[in-house]
Amino acid sequence: MSISRRVFVKSGGLALVSLGLDPLFLARAAFASHRPLPPLTASDRPVLVCLFQRGAVDGLNMIVPHGEPLYYRERPRIAIPAKDVVDLDGHFGLHPSLAPLKPLWDNKSLAAIHAVGSPDATRSHFDAQDYMESGTPGVKSTSDGWLNRYCRHDREHVDTPFRAVAFGPQLPRILAGTAPTLAIDDLQAFGLRVPQEAARDRLTRAFEELYEGAATGLLASSSQEGFDAIQMLKRVNPGQYQPANGAAYPPGRFGRALLQIAQLIKANLGLEIAFADVGGWDTHVNQGSSEGQLAARLRELGLGLAAFAQDLGERMRSVVVLTMSEFGRTIRENGNSGTDHGHATAMLALGGPVNGGRVLGRWPGLDPASRFEGRDVAVTTDFRDLFAEVLARHLGAAALAPVFPGYTPDPARFPGAITG
Amino acid sequence: MTARRHVATTARLATVLLAVLAPWRLDAQSLSPRDSALHALNRLAFGPRPGEVDRVAGLGVMRWIDQQLEPERVPDDRLAERERAFKLLDLGREELALRYGDALRERREMQRNMAASGDTARRPGAGPMREFRQLGGELQQLAVVRAALSERQLREVMVDFWTNHFNVFVGKGADRFLTPSYIEQTIRPHALGRFEDLLIATAQSPAMLFYLDNAQSIAPGSVPPMRGRRPDRMPQGINENYARELLELHTLGVDGGYTQQDVIAVARILTGWGIERPQQGAGFTFRDWAHDRGEKTVLGVRFPGGHGMDEGVRLLKLLANQHATMHHVSRKLCARLVADEPPDGCVDAAVDAWHRTNGDIRAVLRAIVAAPDFWAPQVLHAKVKTPFEFVVSAVRATGAEPDDTPRLAQVVARLGQPLYLQPAPTGYPETQAQWVNSGALLGRMNVAVALAAGRLPGVTTNLDAVVPLTADRSQLTDLVNGRVLSGTMTAHTRDVIRRQLADVNDPMQARALAVGLAIGGPEFQRQ
Repeated sequence: MSISRRVFVKSGGLALVSLGLDPLFLARAAFASHRPLPPLTASDRPVLVCLFQRGAVDGLNMIVPHGEPLYYRERPRIAIPAKDVVDLDGHFGLHPSLAPLKPLWDNKSLAAIHAVGSPDATRSHFDAQDYMESGTPGVKSTSDGWLNRYCRHDREHVDTPFRAVAFGPQLPRILAGTAPTLAIDDLQAFGLRVPQEAARDRLTRAFEELYEGAATGLLASSSQEGFDAIQMLKRVNPGQYQPANGAAYPPGRFGRALLQIAQLIKANLGLEIAFADVGGWDTHVNQGSSEGQLAARLRELGLGLAAFAQDLGERMRSVVVLTMSEFGRTIRENGNSGTDHGHATAMLALGGPVNGGRVLGRWPGLDPASRFEGRDVAVTTDFRDLFAEVLARHLGAAALAPVFPGYTPDPARFPGAITG
Repeated sequence: MTARRHVATTARLATVLLAVLAPWRLDAQSLSPRDSALHALNRLAFGPRPGEVDRVAGLGVMRWIDQQLEPERVPDDRLAERERAFKLLDLGREELALRYGDALRERREMQRNMAASGDTARRPGAGPMREFRQLGGELQQLAVVRAALSERQLREVMVDFWTNHFNVFVGKGADRFLTPSYIEQTIRPHALGRFEDLLIATAQSPAMLFYLDNAQSIAPGSVPPMRGRRPDRMPQGINENYARELLELHTLGVDGGYTQQDVIAVARILTGWGIERPQQGAGFTFRDWAHDRGEKTVLGVRFPGGHGMDEGVRLLKLLANQHATMHHVSRKLCARLVADEPPDGCVDAAVDAWHRTNGDIRAVLRAIVAAPDFWAPQVLHAKVKTPFEFVVSAVRATGAEPDDTPRLAQVVARLGQPLYLQPAPTGYPETQAQWVNSGALLGRMNVAVALAAGRLPGVTTNLDAVVPLTADRSQLTDLVNGRVLSGTMTAHTRDVIRRQLADVNDPMQARALAVGLAIGGPEFQRQ
């Protein structure tokens, strides 16, 4: 089996890079911190976990501006009563369902970024998700996603089969493109699906032999990566996984995805980017207040993130979890005790490298004069500035221009989500 | 990128040199009749069925291509029989719009009940929602069934090509009910017709007008006849999305020599091209009140104001007949039919035919297959199959029959190509870099093994008719090579399969293993 040789060669190459012999090292100094990159299997390699809240989360009921009287005036039926809000800084507070995250705020590993969003005015879920994943707001013909472009352009990180993994049945747009990425629905089922282990091993070897001898070009290299990945996972034995530190993930798809991400991070197989969806945020009707529809969705989110941080423990020092959502919702509640499609929303950043314990981004306020098109929270942080900051300061991205074509990320506009 | 371009240039140069220096002609005649039949079946069809290479070789490959170019003369009774099971084909756009409305109402009702009861468990919905979802499944499965079973294979290949070229996304709002009629009435009737007609049909299709927002594009300051509409829901000004993709993707190509001013002028010309309300059938309509009455200039051509919808039709004809359009679309066709980086020779031949015939798609296809590039040794088996091509060709190679459930379409989706669900207007890429990665290849191996064992959902296999049971392993391997791989098995693959079979005593198991390895192996990933 050629697995150890290949990984060794890759790690060897990486070690050289991390000594700063690569000219890119100089280029990245403009954006990134100067941390040398640890070897592939080291337990402190930076990891980015992106969670997409599809359906447009109501940022105002997630990170509540309870210090603002207008908030209560515009939302007589669905505002979170001040007595229920988990206060953060006297002005903003967490939805009570997110109370499990308060300790992470207190230990400075959780930050919120408010009034973040797209420069494009669209209120279509489809278009806005598309723009957030392609990283090119307003440009529809971009065929790949910004996380894939990061993988393609950042030579400093050498590909492993598990470098970029989406947890779900299909590869999302954000990871689509020419750099190799994986969609994994279930770590245990990765590989050939044959019930008996001996038969499975044998079939795997047969296919490996077939491809070693008869495949050429991309078919040869990709298949070999696949067989390497199977071997790597086999040693990790995902079926035996037990969360550490008594962490309990919430039941359901989202909790399972987070558990598998934690598992893959701890396996030290070179995971750099993980992605998962969490849906159900399109609360047009009866979205509820401290309890109800949105509260239930936020409870799952909060419990999941808290369990994830607990499970990873010390390893969180080099992990950043970033939530994102295509846009926010109207400031004023609608006639159905819900909210309609708005503009800016709030995002969460969690992890050791996060500049936590604060609400970041310039808050435009809810005053009608400062609203977007007279009705929505205005965008004061372009989502690309937040994403670019995380890529540069957390993952050490060398070149941001090819990741966000048509845009020049400027450290002066970074919201400051990652400690320098 | 630079490296790839360099390689492409070198390859092009080599082709030119070869064509100049070679005393022989690199065309169908230089290949054996079987090799040329297999190549044609790989590129102009979704792969051969057992025995089909010999049949086409016996008929003569050029004669088979001629027949395929006149699909109306190719009987297709078996597919017609299967299509009767698809309820979707009996429902017009109006009916689908109504049913979609019912489904939305049921969903809202359910959300209200859920919110009232505090119950957040998601339920599939019993009535209209479930029925509508089933129709969506039918839409995808129908594409698989047609590609696998139709005798009019070249037409199905072209339907797939144009559906992708003029991509719409079935997951976007009204496109959930507009996509079926887009396929049946816009794409299929024009797949082998004239490009100009196809272009106009897509421009007037509600599915495209909604997908790329042209239905929302109105002349700034224009005021609709108010029918109780909420002013904050009204579209504001022109929307350039369709105009931009029309130039960049559908016609001229990104390097086609247009400017941002052209994009704006195109958007202004197409203001008013919209969709009727769903209750009125959701058909194409021209809304005079929304049309920009000023003069416009596109590519230096003047469009005097005040000509309403005719301006748009004139514009589309202008675009359809630009040299840049001919080159852009011909190159894309050659990327599909010849090579990911197509040689200039076949592209030029296609463009010549386009000029000569005013964009007769059949003539363009004839020119491509008449070009030596199409039959050049370096393009044989050079293209990697897309997930759709892989699944359909595997079904065909094993003589299997897809059923009426959406399960086989779901297999295609799991391999990375959910049908009608590409959100980007670029459609799915044609190049192998997009499709070949470790997870996707393992997925293909799993599909192959399941298919060979008769366990693949959504399909009925009858391997007895393709590879009869035999205890003789050499004979088994030869049969699999001849019947399933059309003789493309390498010596190495033959060795590996024979070794694997050595201690498998059950002939059923042995056959399943051999067929699974063959379909999941490297030879079958190429075409």
